[in-house]
Amino acid sequence: MPAEAPGGRLAALVRALWPLVALLALWELAGQMRWVAGGALPAPTQILYRYWQDWGDYPRHIRATLIASGAGFVIGNAIAVAAGLLFVLAPVTGRIARGLNIAIFALPPIAIAPILSLTLEGMTPRIVLAALGVYFVTMQATVTGLQQFDSRAGDLVRAYGGGKAAVMRFVQIRGAIPAILSGFRVAAPNAVLGAILAEFGGGGRWGLGTYLLGSLGRGDPARLWGIGLTATAIAGLSYALFAVISARMLGRTRAVSLNPSAPPSETREPVNLPVMLASILLPFALWWAVLWALQVPRMIGKSPWDVIDYLFLSAQSAQAQERLLGALLQTLPITLIGMAAGLAFAFALAVSSRLTPGFTRAFLPVALVTQTMPLVALTPLLVLILGRGTAVTLWITISVTFFPAYVMIAQGLAQVPRAALELPRAYGATAWRELRLVAIPASAPWALAAVRLTAPRALLGVMIAEWLATGRGLGNLLNQSRGYMDFSMIWTVALVSVLLSVGFYQVALWIERRVMARMGGG
Amino acid sequence: MSSPAGITLDHLCKTFRARGKAVEALRDVSLDCPPGSFTALIGPSGCGKSTVLRTALGLETLDSGTVRMADMGPEKATRAGLTGVAFQDAALLPWRTVAQNVALPLEVLGRAVGPEQGRIRELIDLVGLKGRENALPGELSGGMRQRVAIARSLVTEPRILFLDEPFGALDQILRRQMNIELQRIWAETGVTTLLVTHGIDEAVFLADRVAVMQAAPGRIVDVIDVPFARPREPALFSDDRFHHLCDQIAGALHGGHHAG
Ligand SMILES: Nc1ncnc2c1ncn2[C@@H]1O[C@H](COP(=O)(O)OP(=O)(O)OP(=O)(O)O)[C@@H](O)[C@H]1O
Ligand SMILES: [Mg+2]
Repeated sequence: MPAEAPGGRLAALVRALWPLVALLALWELAGQMRWVAGGALPAPTQILYRYWQDWGDYPRHIRATLIASGAGFVIGNAIAVAAGLLFVLAPVTGRIARGLNIAIFALPPIAIAPILSLTLEGMTPRIVLAALGVYFVTMQATVTGLQQFDSRAGDLVRAYGGGKAAVMRFVQIRGAIPAILSGFRVAAPNAVLGAILAEFGGGGRWGLGTYLLGSLGRGDPARLWGIGLTATAIAGLSYALFAVISARMLGRTRAVSLNPSAPPSETREPVNLPVMLASILLPFALWWAVLWALQVPRMIGKSPWDVIDYLFLSAQSAQAQERLLGALLQTLPITLIGMAAGLAFAFALAVSSRLTPGFTRAFLPVALVTQTMPLVALTPLLVLILGRGTAVTLWITISVTFFPAYVMIAQGLAQVPRAALELPRAYGATAWRELRLVAIPASAPWALAAVRLTAPRALLGVMIAEWLATGRGLGNLLNQSRGYMDFSMIWTVALVSVLLSVGFYQVALWIERRVMARMGGG
Repeated sequence: MSSPAGITLDHLCKTFRARGKAVEALRDVSLDCPPGSFTALIGPSGCGKSTVLRTALGLETLDSGTVRMADMGPEKATRAGLTGVAFQDAALLPWRTVAQNVALPLEVLGRAVGPEQGRIRELIDLVGLKGRENALPGELSGGMRQRVAIARSLVTEPRILFLDEPFGALDQILRRQMNIELQRIWAETGVTTLLVTHGIDEAVFLADRVAVMQAAPGRIVDVIDVPFARPREPALFSDDRFHHLCDQIAGALHGGHHAG
């Protein structure tokens, strides 16, 4: 910490807050003057007034969403940490579960929300979707954290006869805690998003998603903003909670010298056909098993075979294929463009925030506001502002991609050990040079992992936009099929979107490996 | 303290293969350290000194050759708590205090830490860190961290001690002090010691024998006996015979192969 001048804290606070204050003032003005699309953007005071009027409704909705996302968060994370431990201790389990993990990660919640509501009852779909939303992030963070321990400390434990378990106990677990906490931090808003999307796609009286859906038709922007901001506050607070905890733990215990061991990335294993096959079949087996265990009626619950039958063998298959293909051609291009833009934005911001830390502190709250729930809540408003065209889809995709990518890249930059950072500085390097020499190469593994992790999110963003706004593509097809109770098509779209996401993930992984091999990381 | 045990390195061969390149780190390295002896290993950077230590501890697999310590292989010997080690990097756990870091080998070996608290404190005093028991590694200087690693290497009361440039980050005065302390501990405990160092004077002051290595392939080119009586006093550093021996070792290091 650099020494601060007297009154420096206050000055820093003012510097950190003024953009927010300025933004609020501008917003108020724009709202009062009805500058944006004839009142689609109400002033903060108007939103607050609406809050005051609606206050009787809020507690029960908030409570329902909190319970579902909280329960999902706890269950999902408990499973995720246990699974991460298992995958590191017995890597073959990780390889077998790989297909399942990627499928869970990649499945767009919006695509399976209708399915969950069809097959499960009460709060369960919400909890399941919230848990699914947090599982992969935390599992991956746990695995990365456990694998990327200080090999020198590991050697020391082994030099005293310690085996795998001892290295795990003395070095890896404690060393993984910052990574796990940062996983929790990213996962927390996911749980809220998952719960709300499930409320969106299913029944139930209470919950912010239900409230939002019920309010959509009223054309009351202030109410919609109020709900959106409430969900944002929940997501943001849960994020902030874990940010504070992890900052405290990282603070004084950061490694003092650069660990020469390999960077975190999925290591390439020798191809093992049975394991690979098991990994591909496991998700389908589980799909079957769940349908069977829950005794879902054949009419509603479609098995993998039913989907294949519908798409390729039945009488309607030609027509089904045509609808699906049309939707795909609308969805795919926009996804790729939005993804590239979101990643570029995240990288630029992470880099510039390393250069000017004050900027991050000012920007992060704004970034949070554009996240998770607001995407669902603000889509109707964005539609009012931007129209029902490509702009809305792009904007939503960018912000969906942006947030996780930003967190990952910033974390990579923050984890560069002090000694390594200070070396170029000691030679009088400028901030930019320092970044180029040390920070960017050291964070490259995280940046690439971010690419891999955000690819499926981009598809989710596009589908949300299509469902709620543009009436095109896969999202729309899903929504339509829901309306027509076309169960076969619902399952088909869900399967296709999961497969698409997995495809994106694999491509990103392939790129990551190519780059890592060039950098000598394997 | 139980009786000391020797180290026998027999024709160690090790080639690293990484990214298509092969580095022959050790070729036919044989070295016999009798129980209670003090051997220094000296050689240019990258010649394989650390690799010798790591293979002796079972941290690297050998292509061929054997390591025996008190008639045990590395795995058994380390698990029995026979060995102590301080690596070139301090390798402290950043979340553990100095005292907790020193105690780590005890915990790994499954020994009780409680009864050893007194000794842990003494060891921390010994390396000149009295009062910093509860500091975290991030709050210490590089030299201080290295001294924590030295204290840690002694905490298990080992019969065989491996030290990899343990005084590299210390200033000359502190280094001399630590040399004298190390000699005292070695004499008191009779621990068989293998010390890797870049300091010729340090090697001659401390060791019974100095093994000189050369790089590419890593091999031992000479083993030079150090005849000076024990205990050795700091005055030895200015003795003519001392300098003569240092020059001889420097000659061997620079590739001047002399008979013997
Ligand atoms: N894990 C590894 N993979 C590939 N090469 C290695 C590995 N460890 C060591 N080497 C190579 O083996 C050789 C010997 O390394 P070692 O660390 O034993 O040298 P050293 O004598 O201890 O050097 P220094 O005095 O600089 O510590 C070097 O050429 C090094 O590059
Ligand atoms: Mg070395």
